[in-house]
Amino acid sequence: MRANSVGWLLLTPTLPILFVFGVIPFLYVLVIGFMNWNSFAANPDMQFAWAENFRRLVFDDQFLYSLWLTLKFAFFAVLSEIVLGYFLAQLFMKDFPGKGFFRTIHTLPLVIAPIAVGATWRLLTVPGLGPLPYYLNRWLGYEFNISRYIDQAFFTTVVMDVWHWTPLVTLTLLAALSSLPKEPFEQAQIDGANRFQIFWHITLPLLKPAILATVFIRMMDALRTVDEVWMLTGGGPGAATRYIGLHIWRVVFPKTDYGYGSAMSLITLYLTIVMCWMLYAGLVARRDLKRAE
Amino acid sequence: MMRRFRKRASASLGSILFWTLSSLITLLPIYWMFAVSAKSRVQLFGSPSFVISSFFTENYTSTLADSAFQRYMFNSVVVATANALLVTTLALLATYALSRYKLPGKENLFFWTITNRMAPPAVFLLPLFLLYTQVFVVADVKLFDTKIGLILLYCVFNLPFAIWTLRGVIDGIPKELDEAAFVDGANTWQVLTKVILPLAKPGLAVTGILTWVFAWNEYLFAATLTSVHARTITTGLAEFVTVTGTNWGRMAATAMLTLVPALLVLGLAQRHIVAGLTFGAVKE
Amino acid sequence: MYHFKSLIASTLTAALLSSTTPAFADFWSDAAKGLEGTTIRGISESTPPSNYAKDVLGPAFTKATGIKVEFEATSWDQMYDKAIKDMEANTGIYDFVYIEQDIIYSYLARNFLVDVTQALNENPNLKSPTFDPTKFTSFIDNFKNDKGDLFGVPMEAFIKVYLYRKDLFDDPKIKEAYKAKYGADLAPAKDHKEYRQIAQFFTEWGKANGQEIFGTTVQAASGHPAAVYEVVESIFPTYGVYNWGIDTKAYGASVANGGRMNSPEAKAALTWWIGNLAYAPPESTSSTWDEVAATFAAGRAAQGLVYGENAAWIATDDKKSNVVGKVGVALPPVEPGIIEQATSGAGYIGYYDGGAFGIPHSSKNKKAALLWLQYIGQDSVQTDWALAGSRITHKATYEDPKVQAQDKKVDGYYTLMREKGPLFRGAPPFPFHNQVREAIAPFIYQAITGELKPDEALDKAAAAADAELKNLGYRK
Repeated sequence: MRANSVGWLLLTPTLPILFVFGVIPFLYVLVIGFMNWNSFAANPDMQFAWAENFRRLVFDDQFLYSLWLTLKFAFFAVLSEIVLGYFLAQLFMKDFPGKGFFRTIHTLPLVIAPIAVGATWRLLTVPGLGPLPYYLNRWLGYEFNISRYIDQAFFTTVVMDVWHWTPLVTLTLLAALSSLPKEPFEQAQIDGANRFQIFWHITLPLLKPAILATVFIRMMDALRTVDEVWMLTGGGPGAATRYIGLHIWRVVFPKTDYGYGSAMSLITLYLTIVMCWMLYAGLVARRDLKRAE
Repeated sequence: MMRRFRKRASASLGSILFWTLSSLITLLPIYWMFAVSAKSRVQLFGSPSFVISSFFTENYTSTLADSAFQRYMFNSVVVATANALLVTTLALLATYALSRYKLPGKENLFFWTITNRMAPPAVFLLPLFLLYTQVFVVADVKLFDTKIGLILLYCVFNLPFAIWTLRGVIDGIPKELDEAAFVDGANTWQVLTKVILPLAKPGLAVTGILTWVFAWNEYLFAATLTSVHARTITTGLAEFVTVTGTNWGRMAATAMLTLVPALLVLGLAQRHIVAGLTFGAVKE
Repeated sequence: MYHFKSLIASTLTAALLSSTTPAFADFWSDAAKGLEGTTIRGISESTPPSNYAKDVLGPAFTKATGIKVEFEATSWDQMYDKAIKDMEANTGIYDFVYIEQDIIYSYLARNFLVDVTQALNENPNLKSPTFDPTKFTSFIDNFKNDKGDLFGVPMEAFIKVYLYRKDLFDDPKIKEAYKAKYGADLAPAKDHKEYRQIAQFFTEWGKANGQEIFGTTVQAASGHPAAVYEVVESIFPTYGVYNWGIDTKAYGASVANGGRMNSPEAKAALTWWIGNLAYAPPESTSSTWDEVAATFAAGRAAQGLVYGENAAWIATDDKKSNVVGKVGVALPPVEPGIIEQATSGAGYIGYYDGGAFGIPHSSKNKKAALLWLQYIGQDSVQTDWALAGSRITHKATYEDPKVQAQDKKVDGYYTLMREKGPLFRGAPPFPFHNQVREAIAPFIYQAITGELKPDEALDKAAAAADAELKNLGYRK
C-alpha cells in the first residue's frame, strides 16, 4: 500500500539540496585536504602532498590545544544550557500571572544575531566602557578584565553562550514537555512516587529523545562557534578562547593556508561526527530499532 | 480555604519575584546595547553608567535614513522568511518519509542529514564561493550575491535541524491515524495535509521560528557570498568594525532595530507555542 | 534626513564639477563614450576616506561619465579575503579593490593587478590630462614595481604619531611636581626612558588626585593583529629592528638564521612595550587601532602612539572627543641614533600607512575602472577629501588654506607628516605579511597576558616565523 517509491519521492527535494550545497563542498574540501596550497606561498599552485597535512596536525600544539579548549567550552556551555533550560521549561509549565510576557523576554536573546551578541558582551566587559568591570570593581573590589585574564575570558564566553542559547533549549524542552502524555504521571502519583522518582523514572525517559536532539544541536553548534567569540575576544587573551571554528577561520582566511585548513576541518568534522554518532547509537538508535521491529 | 488562598498568593508572588529577577538578568545585556545606542560617543566613553541622561537620537535617525540599512533589512527579512518556509515544508515531507516508510538505510540517512550541520564553516566558504561564482552561472547571472543563493544555502544547516526536531513530532502522531485515512481512500498528499499537518502544526511553528532565527542570524556565509545587492543585516553590523574605528553607537542602534522584525516573528509564534501546550491533549 | 544627505552630496558634486577647468570638463564624457551605463564595483572598508569616495566622488564621477560606481563595504578582515578569492578564482566581481600598503607585495607577487601605467599608455584616449602621478606625495612609490610602473592610486595615507595632552604637559602645577620628582622638565618624550618616566608619573599622579588618567595608551588587544602590528611596525623600528626583524634576502627571522626578531634590541623593545601596560588603562589589552584613539579622546591617557587618521577628530570633533584643543603632536620616542639612521635612509622610525585603489586583472570593466582611478587621483578633488578623512596623498593638498587651517587645530599633524614623513616607511616588501603575522601573533598575545616572558615570546615567535617561511617555501 505504501510504496517506498513514495517515500523517496518525499525525500526528493531535500536530498539534492543537501547534496549540492553540502556534499559537493565537502568533497572539494576532502581533495584540498591532501594538497599543499597557499595563495601566497613561494609556489602558489596546488601540489599534491599525500597525507602531509594530517601528519602535521598530530604535532600541531596550537591545533590540539584549540580542539581541547573547544571540547571544554562545549561541555560547560551545553551542560549548563540543558540544566538551566530544563529548569525554566518546567517552571513555564506552571500557570502564573504574566507568563506570556516573561516567556517572550526569556526568548529574546535567541533572536539576536551572534555577531551582535558578541558586540554587546564586548561592550559590557571592556574596561573603561563596560559596566561589568566597573561595578565589579566598585562593589566587590574584583578586577574583571577578560582581555587580560585567561580564566575570566573562558568563563565569559561560556556565560555568553549560555545567555544566548538557553532560550533555544527552553523552547524545545517546553514543546516536548507539553506534548508528554498525562497518564504515566497520574499513575505514578497514585502509586505514591516522590518528585525525584517521577523525574528520574518517568519524565526523563520520556523526554530523552527531545533532550538528546537538543544536546546534539547545541553541541554541534557550540563546536563550530565563530561569530560571537570573534567579536568578543578575537580568540584572546593569548589563545584562551581560540576555539576550533575561530582557529580554522584564522588559518584559512588571513593565512590563506587552504590545504592545512581543509585537513583541520576534516579532522574536526570527523571527530564531531564520531562523538555525535556514539551518543546517537548508544542512546537513541537502539530504542528506535526496537520500535521499528 | 483561606490558607490555601494565602499559599497560592505567596506562591505566585514568589514566582513573579523569581521571573522578574531572571528577566532582569536576561535583559541586562540588551538594555546595555540600548544604552550604548542612546548615548553619544563622548557620553559612552565618559564613565560606564546604566543611566541614559539624555537620549542621543542621531544613531537611530541616521541608521533609519541609511538606504543601505533599509536594503539589508529587507534582504534579511526575505531570505529568513523564504528559507524558513522552504525548510519547514521540505522537512515535513522528508521527516514523514523517514518516519513512516521502511526505506533501506533510513536511520543512516537520518543521521547523515545532521552531519551537514556539523562542519566548521570557514573552510567550506571556498568551494561555495567557487560554486556560486563559476559553476552556477547562466549567461551573466550568477548565484553569487543573490537572495536565492542564500535561501538555498541556508538549507544546509536548517534542513537537518528541522528534520531532527520534526522527527519527534511526526513519530509522536499515532500511525493509526494515517492508516485510517488510507483505508478511507486518501492518498499520501491528503494524509499529509489533512491528518499530519493539523496535528504537527505547533511543532512546525516552533521549527519554522527557529529556522527563521538561524537564517536571520547567519553571518559568515552571507558575508562571503554576497556583495552589494543581497547583503543581509548581519553583514551590515560587521561593517561598523573598521580600522579607523568601531561605530558602537550606530552598531548598537542597528542591532536594536533588528530586534523589531525578530520580535514580530516571535509574537506570531507565541500563539503557536501556546497552541503547542494543548498538543498532548489531542494525542490522548 | 536621507534627502538632506543626498542634497549635501549633490552640492559637493556640483562644486567639484565646477572646480575642474572648462577645457577638460568634457574629457570625462568623451573618454567614457561607449561606457555609459556600465557599473563598476569596488570593495573597501567603511572608513571616512572610503565613505567620502562612495558618497561624494562616486556620484560626481557618475555625473561626469555616466559610469555607475558601486561600493561593497565590509569589515577589515573580510575585505582581503573576498578580494583575494575574487582575484584568485579570476571571477571578476570587483573592478577595483582596496590595496593596503602592506598587501601590495602579495598582490604583485601573484600578478593580481593591472599595470595602470601600461594600461594608460595603451589607451591614450583614456588618459586624463588632470591625472599626474608626479603630483602625489612619495607615498605613491609604494605602489610601483621596480620598473616604476603604477599598480594602485593612493586614496589615503597616514603616519602613526606620538600624541600627548598639551594641557597637562603645560600645567604649571604638574610641571612642578614632575620636576620635583625626576629633576627634569616635563616635555614630550624623546626616547623610551623619558616616555616610561612620564607614563609612570601620570598614572601615579592620576591615582593620587583621584582622576581617571593613565600615563600611556598601548595598542595591545590580546587577540587581535593590531597588537602584532604595533610591536613590529611601530616599536621595533624605534629600537633599530627593521623589517619586522626578518632578513630580506634569506628570509630568516631568528638570530640563528640571520634575522633579528629575537635579537637583544627586539627583546628590549618588547619588554619596554609590555612594561608600559602597567601604566596603561585596563582597556589597553582589548585596544585595537581605533580603541587606542578612543581612550585618548576620552581623556584617559596623557600620551600614546596613535594613528594619524584619528589625530584630526581627537583634536577637533567635540561630539566624539573630550580633549578638543588639548592635543599635542610629535614624533614617536626612539632610541639614540635611530633618527640619524632614518634620516640617512638606513632605517625608519615608524609606519607610513595607507592604501590605494587598484584594478584586478579579473575585472571585466577595466576601462571604466581606469577612468575612475584617475578621477579620484586628481588634484582638484583632494582638499575636501582630506578634510573629510584627514588623509593626504597629494603634495598640493598641504598648501591648501583649508587644510592649513585644519593643520593648526591639530597641532601641526599635517606639517609633521609633510616634513617628517620620509622618516617613516611602509611595510617591508614581503609577499607573506599575513602569513607570518598569524604565525607570530599567538606569542605576542601570550606576552601580553604574561603567560610568556617577552624574551621567550620572541624566541618562540622567531622560531614560528622561520618555520612558516620554510613551509611557504621562501626559506631554503
